[in-house]
Amino acid sequence: MAGARRTLGGMGGHLWAPHFRMTAWEILIQQSINGLTRGAVFALIALGYTMVYGIIELINFAHGDVFMLGLFISLAWFTLLGVSGALSPWQLVTLLPLVLLLTMLSTALLNVAIDRLAYRPLRRSTRLAPLITAIGVSFMLENVALLWKGPAPIAYPDIFPSVDILREWFGIESAIFVTTKDVLVVAAAVPLMLGLHHFVTRTRWGKAMRATAQDRETAQAMGIDVERTILITFFVGGALAGAAGLIQGMYYNIGQWWMGYQAGLRAFTAAVLGGIGSMSGAALGGILIGFLSAWSDQYISARWTNAIVFAILIVVLVFRPHGLMGDRTVEKA
Amino acid sequence: MSVRRHLGAASLVLLLLVYPFADAALGLQTVHAVSDGMIYVLLALGLNIVVGYAGLLDLGYAAFFAIGAYAMGLLNSPVLGSPFYGHAWSFWLCIWIAAAVSALLGAVIGAPTLRVRGDYLAIITLGFGEIIPVAIRNLGDVTVEITGWRPVERLNLTGGENGVNPVGRPYLPGVPFETDPIPWYFLILVIGAASLWAMNRLRDSRLGRAWMAIREDETAADCTGVNPVSTKLLAFALGASFSGFAGSVYAAKLQAITPGAFEFQVSIMLLCMVVLGGAGSLRGVVLGAMLITVFDRVILAQTTFLVRGIGRTLGVPALVALDLTLWRWFFFGLGLVLVMLLRPQGLAGRRVQPVVDAEDDTAPIVPEPSAPPRIDVVPAWLRAAPGREAALLDVRGVTRHFGGVVALNHVDLRVPGGAIVGLIGPNGAGKTTFFNVVTGLVRPDEGRLEFAGRSLLRLRPNAIVGRGIARTFQSIRLFAHMSVLDNVLVGEHCRLDAGVGGAVLRPARVIAEERRARERARELLHFVGLLGKSDELARNLPYGDQRRLEIARALATEPRLLLLDEPTAGMNPRETEALTGLIGLLRRDLALSILLIEHDMEVVMAISDRISVLDYGTLIAEGTPAEIQRHPRVIEAYLGTGYEAELAARGAPR
Repeated sequence: MAGARRTLGGMGGHLWAPHFRMTAWEILIQQSINGLTRGAVFALIALGYTMVYGIIELINFAHGDVFMLGLFISLAWFTLLGVSGALSPWQLVTLLPLVLLLTMLSTALLNVAIDRLAYRPLRRSTRLAPLITAIGVSFMLENVALLWKGPAPIAYPDIFPSVDILREWFGIESAIFVTTKDVLVVAAAVPLMLGLHHFVTRTRWGKAMRATAQDRETAQAMGIDVERTILITFFVGGALAGAAGLIQGMYYNIGQWWMGYQAGLRAFTAAVLGGIGSMSGAALGGILIGFLSAWSDQYISARWTNAIVFAILIVVLVFRPHGLMGDRTVEKA
Repeated sequence: MSVRRHLGAASLVLLLLVYPFADAALGLQTVHAVSDGMIYVLLALGLNIVVGYAGLLDLGYAAFFAIGAYAMGLLNSPVLGSPFYGHAWSFWLCIWIAAAVSALLGAVIGAPTLRVRGDYLAIITLGFGEIIPVAIRNLGDVTVEITGWRPVERLNLTGGENGVNPVGRPYLPGVPFETDPIPWYFLILVIGAASLWAMNRLRDSRLGRAWMAIREDETAADCTGVNPVSTKLLAFALGASFSGFAGSVYAAKLQAITPGAFEFQVSIMLLCMVVLGGAGSLRGVVLGAMLITVFDRVILAQTTFLVRGIGRTLGVPALVALDLTLWRWFFFGLGLVLVMLLRPQGLAGRRVQPVVDAEDDTAPIVPEPSAPPRIDVVPAWLRAAPGREAALLDVRGVTRHFGGVVALNHVDLRVPGGAIVGLIGPNGAGKTTFFNVVTGLVRPDEGRLEFAGRSLLRLRPNAIVGRGIARTFQSIRLFAHMSVLDNVLVGEHCRLDAGVGGAVLRPARVIAEERRARERARELLHFVGLLGKSDELARNLPYGDQRRLEIARALATEPRLLLLDEPTAGMNPRETEALTGLIGLLRRDLALSILLIEHDMEVVMAISDRISVLDYGTLIAEGTPAEIQRHPRVIEAYLGTGYEAELAARGAPR
């Protein structure tokens, strides 16, 4: 029925394959670097899951597809601005932030629209009802992308210069391969996460979010506009997913309609592993899942990585549903 | 009416029997497609047991479909290459093995989900739904290498990405399964009809009620004597066994299986069928499955054809190039969203239609006066059951911490046989926690719990119900979308013993048991004054009646000790009076011991033999009502210093 869906081993066609003359330690370090960059993207997506779950206890199944559309939308913005190849240094400081902002804004609005249309009418319904609509929305988004871009993987232009840092900047002859792209991923993801942390802990809206997540009724009684807070949550979550989409595109130079489902499930696993509802947990979980999937690709087999990630998800949900950093009250009966 | 229904059923059967021959005569060649559609109907029906009856959202049901198909494929394929191959067993044997293997794996997969609920459970099933196809793909070529040593090399267990091909057909002398689609049609029709028949009987059985009780409120079901573990496992196993049948027929009919046929989308399509038709309604699920199959196979293709024709005549190239079949998953997604938004109960809705609209919780319910409980209708079976004489609850030194909070601190409490003991104290004093400890919902950190001389420690709540302790809840926890009568019947669950076989085959013993259970339930409803409302949904009862129904449900478990958690909370004086009368009746006429949490001091003081007072988890006083009213610590902690004066000053009740 959809056999082509997951024939690629891990997430995305992976850039890097081990040099044939690497020591065991070099392989481990290299795969850990890969894991870190993967994990940074997972973490950005996981934050969107965890924020929404924290506030309305919904597994926003469509969130991974917002990330996928973030990749396609960022590509559309680049195309619109006439970018099709490597950016000049000047463009890197002007165009790239602009596209980042535009993409984040687009996916943020998309996420808000999804909430308004598909989840908000079901706020007072059973808990499973919005989960089912979320699955429906996920299917719709995937198929919009499928019809927009076709079933084949699309090439994302190699807009960010890739420089072998150790070799060319430091003159170190090493089998380990660290590029400017790796740095880009971390350099983009970390400020976004710090910004989110600041937003949640230091601003009025962030305070409203935390209050609503703890107790919606009480927050309402204290004069917090709960619906607006939920809207902001979806907005911020969508923006982060869009950023993750852009980063993914620039790093892997490939995109496909089903990648959101894949990445979404891994990111959700990351959120659960970290403790759903906990922002720092999502960041930590994302990095951990990044490491685990990279190591699994290397030491077991990329073919089994998906099964391993899901096995982790199941084990965590069953034995430690509050995750590594979450509080124990997450799953309310 | 009934003649018309029979006529309708008869014509439906006739239509199903004649259809393939008419199709052959007219040369339509649709029998293959219809048979495939019927396989999906069967799958949807199996999923309905899990989702519709037991209320467990399963997002990985296609995994069981895969397991059924692969069980058939591996056992009934002449292809060599794997240790499983080469012994093409008979289809008629394999189909049972497939169902059994699916059921077993259903229970295995269900087991870890028992600890979690709701959306977490859904995600776990999704995880299994993902793992199974990955495993099937990868087990086609297994090489294990441990530092150069290869104990297993290129072992093909499942056929990998290429799947299993060919798969053997069923063999019946003189029946052309090889060439003719009609035998397949009848084979699937027979399996489908038998499944529907079995499911229909399961739904109206002790087991079906237990599933629905779990769906409505798992904790309440547990405290009413339904074992949620075995009940849920049974739902997973039975649901999976139907997909085992469907999968094995699918494999044999298609003659080949590949892992791609069992992906996540299939699970979601099946979920669409169940949700669209109406989870829990057999007719709805069949309808939903047929609608979606027709939509998928016929309407999309035909509409594409039509739109292209229009495009050609109008000269619009975009329309000519349109292929709506590419949009099928989009439409399934849209369908899920629209059904949930517009008609969450599905096209056919639930079997018992809610009288009050489901979304309209705020609608004022006009409290119709129900008959008060009556002494002359105390059910004889409840009164006279032998071996049910009152027993002693003896609690010693029970302690329970929640984090740093001591909810219960070395609490001792005795409920002598036939006594009414009141448990009072300020809010948060640990009264409900105490109930939860006695009923097994909360494990004590230390202490002893004995009932009728036997320890209750480490028993599941449903087992404690079996010992003869029943409870009600502070915030009423009825099975809201079940009828009043069914609520009471769930209470009888632990006193009945029809299993799956009994529920489906209905031997005379089970029929008699069921009849007796219904009689008893009606007597109980008569006793609490709700007989006229036995077919209403529990959620539509006025508040006071809901309290009484909860008590009737607890009584149906044939308890020797009844725990009532604030039974008069939120009641008006008339309802309170009726309920107080009922509690008195229970003790006097049924020799029931009662432990009562109550804030209405008049009620407590009037009916309790003894009263225990909790404050901050510690028992601060114990004694007769008169002693408690004068106890200085109780007055300080709970009653208030003005209480005695106030009590004296207040002449009339409230």
